[in-house]
Amino acid sequence: MQTDRITGAALICLGGLLIWWIIPWQAEEVGYGWLRPRTLPYIIAVSLAICGAWMMLRPVAEALPHANWPRAALYAGILIAGLALMSRFGFLWVGPPMALVLMLIAGERRPLWLTAGAVGTPAAIWVCVAVLLERPLP
Amino acid sequence: MLDTATILAGLGDAFQPVTLLYVLAGVIMGQFVGAVPGIGPVMATAIAIPFTFGMDPLAGIGFLVGINKGGLVGGAIPAVLINTPGTPDAAATALDGYPMAQQGKPLKATKMALYSSVTGDTFSDIVLITVSAPLAILALRMGPVEVLGLMLLAFAVIASLMGASIARGLAAAALGLLAAMVGTDPEHATPRLIFGNFEVYDGLPLAAVAIGMLAISELLARLARTRSAQAATIDIPRDQLPEDRRVSFAEYWACRFTVLRGAVIGTLIGALPGIGSTAAAFMSYASAKQVSPDRASFGRGNIHGIAAAESANSAVMGANMIPMLTLGIPGSVSAALIVSAFMIHGVQPGPFLFEQQGRLIYGLFGAMILANIMNLLVGQVGMRLWVRVITAPESFVLTSALLLCFVGVSLAAGGLFGIGVMLAFAVLGFVMTAFGFSVVVFIIAFFLGPRFEISLSQTLALLNGDPLCLLDYPFGLAMILAAPVLAVWLARRRA
Repeated sequence: MQTDRITGAALICLGGLLIWWIIPWQAEEVGYGWLRPRTLPYIIAVSLAICGAWMMLRPVAEALPHANWPRAALYAGILIAGLALMSRFGFLWVGPPMALVLMLIAGERRPLWLTAGAVGTPAAIWVCVAVLLERPLP
Repeated sequence: MLDTATILAGLGDAFQPVTLLYVLAGVIMGQFVGAVPGIGPVMATAIAIPFTFGMDPLAGIGFLVGINKGGLVGGAIPAVLINTPGTPDAAATALDGYPMAQQGKPLKATKMALYSSVTGDTFSDIVLITVSAPLAILALRMGPVEVLGLMLLAFAVIASLMGASIARGLAAAALGLLAAMVGTDPEHATPRLIFGNFEVYDGLPLAAVAIGMLAISELLARLARTRSAQAATIDIPRDQLPEDRRVSFAEYWACRFTVLRGAVIGTLIGALPGIGSTAAAFMSYASAKQVSPDRASFGRGNIHGIAAAESANSAVMGANMIPMLTLGIPGSVSAALIVSAFMIHGVQPGPFLFEQQGRLIYGLFGAMILANIMNLLVGQVGMRLWVRVITAPESFVLTSALLLCFVGVSLAAGGLFGIGVMLAFAVLGFVMTAFGFSVVVFIIAFFLGPRFEISLSQTLALLNGDPLCLLDYPFGLAMILAAPVLAVWLARRRA
């Protein structure tokens, strides 16, 4: 019950946000034509709000989801930090330590597997992409 | 519609050494990733798409088809050996496969899965090859109203059948359409929802969205669950009797009706968008159990159970391509990914495909049949090797897959900006999955979004403000009216 009510409320907020703020700001007003730039986004926003109201009024889900949020957020944070560092130093310098950190957090302690993940995989990617395909790495 | 020379030339292209090699590489990679629980052929296809850039279109698409087909076989291996399906559709295989492995016949179970899978897949490929060209002729007669009606019908079916509830299915479809609105409006050519990012003038990059939603979000979820680096250990006894290591022709022949029934169920379900191979496998398993004189043995290592599940889940693959090749509507997320590969190679799917790219399509059909043969051959020699793959630690496999996603998206979607889009959609995919929204519905709606908007725009222009003009398009009107009715009916049946 709780999940549907929270999710439904979030969808209604998103619909409202789109209708009153995002679409008027991010889609131009055009005075002609049957399907104007704002028409379909408005229909979608209203649909989202209706789905949200439906979920709030007729909830079916039992409880909040049991996803492992803190650990998932930690991994997502590492990936975002990795992306930020890659834009400065490049994949070759950031990829191996990022892989090492991810594997260590995942509980891997065996030196052979750590070496394979942090050195072997980035090296194989470098050979395939930069050497064989002759494409730039990020 | 197509002359014999074009058909033969297309089939001949499939036998070019380069194409053969890429299809073989795809099958090997597919069986490999299918055997790793948590990666699977869908994620592997998403990751592999950017690497097909430099390839000839047929070789690239054949490579992706090989991954998909190989993955269907590979998914059965962990289902049988460690009771952990490598792909969701192999869950039904585990019901009898795992008990059979525990009885000391793991190789017999995996080989039955291989033979049934290849038979079911070949059956559905033959149906695809036979019906798609006539269906495409029919589809060519459809105008914007009919296309709009068909897309509404597809949204209704997909949204009703996927996700935790119909409201969630519809919301996922709406979110996918909203993401498709980013870029330039097709009627007035004005920028929309771009937030100052000129990189998305042509829309959000499909590869980044698909890999983020399907691969990275799943990798995040699996990494978050990984607490120990140790993987399951598997022991295949070396002192098995020869009859416990192989499937004799008599045993295979005894399962012929089970396999055929599964292939028919899988093909019928695969031709409808959105239902998916997992449902096909369980329906086939249930029907095999229903007609069996020895129902009690199902779930305790009955070889018919493996045959029913594997033939059905593999038959979905070929049939999924029917709506994709004839109407441009992907029946599943794998089909959507293959469509995106078509588009990357400059080929627009839909009814014109047979007229404009007939040679490529028949080349693809040839590659699909070849992939089935290769699946059989690679499976025969590779089973023992893939068993070792399951013992690789998740920490290594998942981290390597993450690095591949970074590089793949960078190649496909314009560098670091593409990776940023991928990570944003990975977070969205993770949250959506956690709250019971189907990311598959999102991706299909995102993919169909631009075409939907163009069809809607053309339809409104045709009607010119008079809804009664819809009566001039009875088939289109029927489909538009049928969409909500079907959605409500399917939702009630689910409830």
